[in-house]
Amino acid sequence: MNCLEFKRLALSDPSSSEVSFVEHSDTCPDCLKYVGEVRQLDADLAESLNVEVPTDLKARLKLATEMQEESEQRSSISRYAIAASVAIALFVGGFMVSNQFGPQPGEIGKDYQKLLAAVVEHVNEQPMTPVWGNARAERTVNTLMASYDPSLSFNEIENLQFGRICPMGKYRGLHATLESANGQTTFAYIKGEPVGEMLDHSYEGYVARVKPVRGGNLVIVSRTQQSVDQAEVELQKAMVWDI
Amino acid sequence: MTNQSNETGEDQVNYDDMNKNRKYALLIEAHSQDLYKYALWLCKDKAMAEDVMQEAFLRAWKSLDSLREAKAAKGWLFTIFRREHARQFERKQFQYKDVESMDSIADAQMGYDDRPEAFALRNALVRLPQEYREPLEMQVLGGFSCDEIASVLDISASAVMTRLFRARKKMRQILGHESTPELGLVQDTRG
Repeated sequence: MNCLEFKRLALSDPSSSEVSFVEHSDTCPDCLKYVGEVRQLDADLAESLNVEVPTDLKARLKLATEMQEESEQRSSISRYAIAASVAIALFVGGFMVSNQFGPQPGEIGKDYQKLLAAVVEHVNEQPMTPVWGNARAERTVNTLMASYDPSLSFNEIENLQFGRICPMGKYRGLHATLESANGQTTFAYIKGEPVGEMLDHSYEGYVARVKPVRGGNLVIVSRTQQSVDQAEVELQKAMVWDI
Repeated sequence: MTNQSNETGEDQVNYDDMNKNRKYALLIEAHSQDLYKYALWLCKDKAMAEDVMQEAFLRAWKSLDSLREAKAAKGWLFTIFRREHARQFERKQFQYKDVESMDSIADAQMGYDDRPEAFALRNALVRLPQEYREPLEMQVLGGFSCDEIASVLDISASAVMTRLFRARKKMRQILGHESTPELGLVQDTRG
């Protein structure tokens, strides 16, 4: 391989492991310098195109697929339900029948996905949160809330264990935990525009609920549906807006 | 080399044993970051990049059973992404930024390095003809080999090498690194 051939290959494939390419670079300082410059240009270009990837991107991609699957399954069930309804209607000669499978799933907004993914991902990142005494937890949460959302405070919650203002994906909000019969239940309050409707979703072994509340959204995450329901009742009683 | 072959073989055996959810989780884990950088560069908009990516991953999920080899996953995923990107481009007629409208403030808002030298590199890349730019983007951003790029772009490996040669040569000229006369076309000397 001569210098011209070397430079041609250096511009095509600067990482080439071709024997004649490697041998030439070992014996020709000019060409070694040349390929070094080409590699440096590649490295600089890669660096100039580097960006920080959103921390919750992977979680959102997984969640979007799970939601799509769930939605398709529901649609499929609904299609069967409609077909069954038509058949029954024909069979009984005009009796009205109702859909036994509940309401059609609404269009699921991206806000749901992003909120749920951000909180679940945060819970996954911090599986062990401290367990404080109830008095300390209440005091801390109310102090933090005063700086985060002065209009909101918490009345007594007997099983409150921990609270902190945390970044959760692109959001920032209150991350707190409640003790429940089935282990710890996490809830997050994130200020901002409330999502359109309440939604439950199972994700990465968790049951997650996002609920629009005054001034933002409440996200409850637990291992069981029962714990989520219980936490929602408790939080509904405890959260007070001074508006 | 032998070790590498064994590792690849073992990877494939493990891949064959995985269920669909596990394969999909691995796909996201291994390639979402590179794909995001590639997507953002192509779309020039964070929300749009995430939308196209999400659609691409949904399509990947639906046709995951057609992916037989773990080592082919990256090229396969990027191919799906490129098709989805083209489809959305056709459908929505996104307003892409051309060279004249590129500015360092917009780049910085997207999270790119805002130093002048970094901007000059991106600007030089954008000024390349698309057929030269594409393989270079795939090599630099995606870490693809010439053969993998050939597979994704559906052209020969020697055509990829020619395009990469011209892309880098033009880049060097734009950046003032190269004033040498024509080096001629590269020949694919492999096998």
